[in-house]
Amino acid sequence: MTGIQASGAAQAAPHPRIALSGIRKRFGSVEAIRGVDLALYPGECVGLVGDNAAGKSTLTKIISGTYVPDEGSIAINGETVRFATPADARKHHIEMVYQDLSLCDTIDVAGNLFLGREPLSGPFLDRKAMREGARAMLERLEIKIPNLDALVAQLSGGQRQSIAIARAAAFDPHVLIMDEPTSALAVKEVEAVLSLINRVKAKGVTVVLITHRLQDLFNVCDRIVVMYEGLKVAERSIAETDLTDLVSLIVGKGHGTGGKA
Amino acid sequence: MSGAYSSRPQGSRLADLLGSHAQLLSIAGFFLIMVVIFSIASPVFLSAGNILNLVRQTAPILIVATAMTFVITTGGIDLSVGSVVALINASAAILLQAGMPWPLAVIGLILLGAALGATQGWFIAYQGIQAFIVTLAGLSALRGIALLMTEGFSIPISTDLGFVSIGRGWFLGVPAPTWLALIVAVLGFVIFWGTRFGRYVTAIGANQEAARRSGIATKRIILWVYVLTGVASAVAGIVIAARLGSGSSNAAVGFELEVIAAVVLGGTSLMGGRGSIFGTVLGALTIGVIGNGLILAHVSPFFTQIVTGAIILLAVWLNAQVFSRLASSSKRAN
Repeated sequence: MTGIQASGAAQAAPHPRIALSGIRKRFGSVEAIRGVDLALYPGECVGLVGDNAAGKSTLTKIISGTYVPDEGSIAINGETVRFATPADARKHHIEMVYQDLSLCDTIDVAGNLFLGREPLSGPFLDRKAMREGARAMLERLEIKIPNLDALVAQLSGGQRQSIAIARAAAFDPHVLIMDEPTSALAVKEVEAVLSLINRVKAKGVTVVLITHRLQDLFNVCDRIVVMYEGLKVAERSIAETDLTDLVSLIVGKGHGTGGKA
Repeated sequence: MSGAYSSRPQGSRLADLLGSHAQLLSIAGFFLIMVVIFSIASPVFLSAGNILNLVRQTAPILIVATAMTFVITTGGIDLSVGSVVALINASAAILLQAGMPWPLAVIGLILLGAALGATQGWFIAYQGIQAFIVTLAGLSALRGIALLMTEGFSIPISTDLGFVSIGRGWFLGVPAPTWLALIVAVLGFVIFWGTRFGRYVTAIGANQEAARRSGIATKRIILWVYVLTGVASAVAGIVIAARLGSGSSNAAVGFELEVIAAVVLGGTSLMGGRGSIFGTVLGALTIGVIGNGLILAHVSPFFTQIVTGAIILLAVWLNAQVFSRLASSSKRAN
């Protein structure tokens, strides 16, 4: 482990909201994650950056229960947990916006927003509640979708991404993970997502943001974690880093010279 | 709000509606055309007696096709339904001949159907073996078991038993199997359209990994849809045994293909994610009408299979090419 402990992000909380230790994950012969420790605190946004195939998405998918790590442990508020399925992580209020959006194309907008937690009236789906809830969710995020009955397949890339974000943000998350949430968004919608992140942070939500738009990180993040080839190579508070520093860390020139603790 | 979105043409709603129901409209139209053609070809076709006969004969297909709609909508397939029908059919005759009270036998056979479905579903959902392979093995093995049990003979069922009224009885002027099929189809429609289970079946077919990430117990749902086809096949097997008054391992040969054809004709996508119980009902009736109409029109039984195959291909082709093209061009015209 060559991780550098961030001294700047002083956190008062007794336990991190979520703590990973010694996480390893192997896919066939490739070790995607080679032992990562990471602590995330309430009300902070942590930017996760790194080159392609650095293990960012894999690490976040382990937090969201999509992948089960081969080794290592996850603790929530100091209590060790084990996620066998994404449903387990959801029960702990961990929500994720996946890079591939994970939408069901042949289901309508409201149905996708409520997928897995549809409101019921008796044994039946409460379609009215779903539609009204969907409208409220999208309005809060300033997302305009004219027809909530439209199938997701009929929407644009930006609208689809907005739906994926709204779905993750709407159900009172404690940890909100966003894997490239703004890649298909126009300028104004990116602004809306960044202000959403600041809003939920203020409410004490832990946000993990993966993005290639490094300038966005400086708008919302408190700390930045750099990954390289499945390892966490650097951890910086936002005050003690800048764009050039980050870029050199990402491409692998900076670590080792970055002031090892 | 944002300029990029406001350019989306309004008024495409009707076209969308037409587009999303194009397949249903197409099979409804095709069904009506078949009815018109056969009613011209044979004056008997539209008689009350023939229609009741038709809906009675179509009942087993409709019962199993309703369950099959769930399976195919998840992106799966169940090729074993014909063999399950044969096995249940033969078992019914054997149990009744051994003197088991018939209500008990019916309950036991339905549970057997559920168990067969659950076994196949377990291999598919929890062991990750392709549905095609698992149910192909089921198709072969289960009919083999039926053959072994009956040694190839047809086993008679005493017509004194109340059992045969399941296949031969009438209620309010309509055959009992038709009532059964109607109940199954309505139940299927309500579950498919109105419940979480139905919603998750569609979600799994659309994007199984997304469904799993949404916290849906995808494996359990997949197992359950094969339990549904197992139970439906058992009911169909019982209905056929009761109607024919015998049990045979050679019952329902090729039945799985008729059922799958009915479901696909109804607009359910073999790729999964899109299904319609109402379409399946129309599809099953169309299959029934074609079979019945060709016999009434005195077409040689050897031709029947050829014509049935050609008509199914034509219907699906119409569905895929003409109607979806109409739907998409009307969308563009807006």
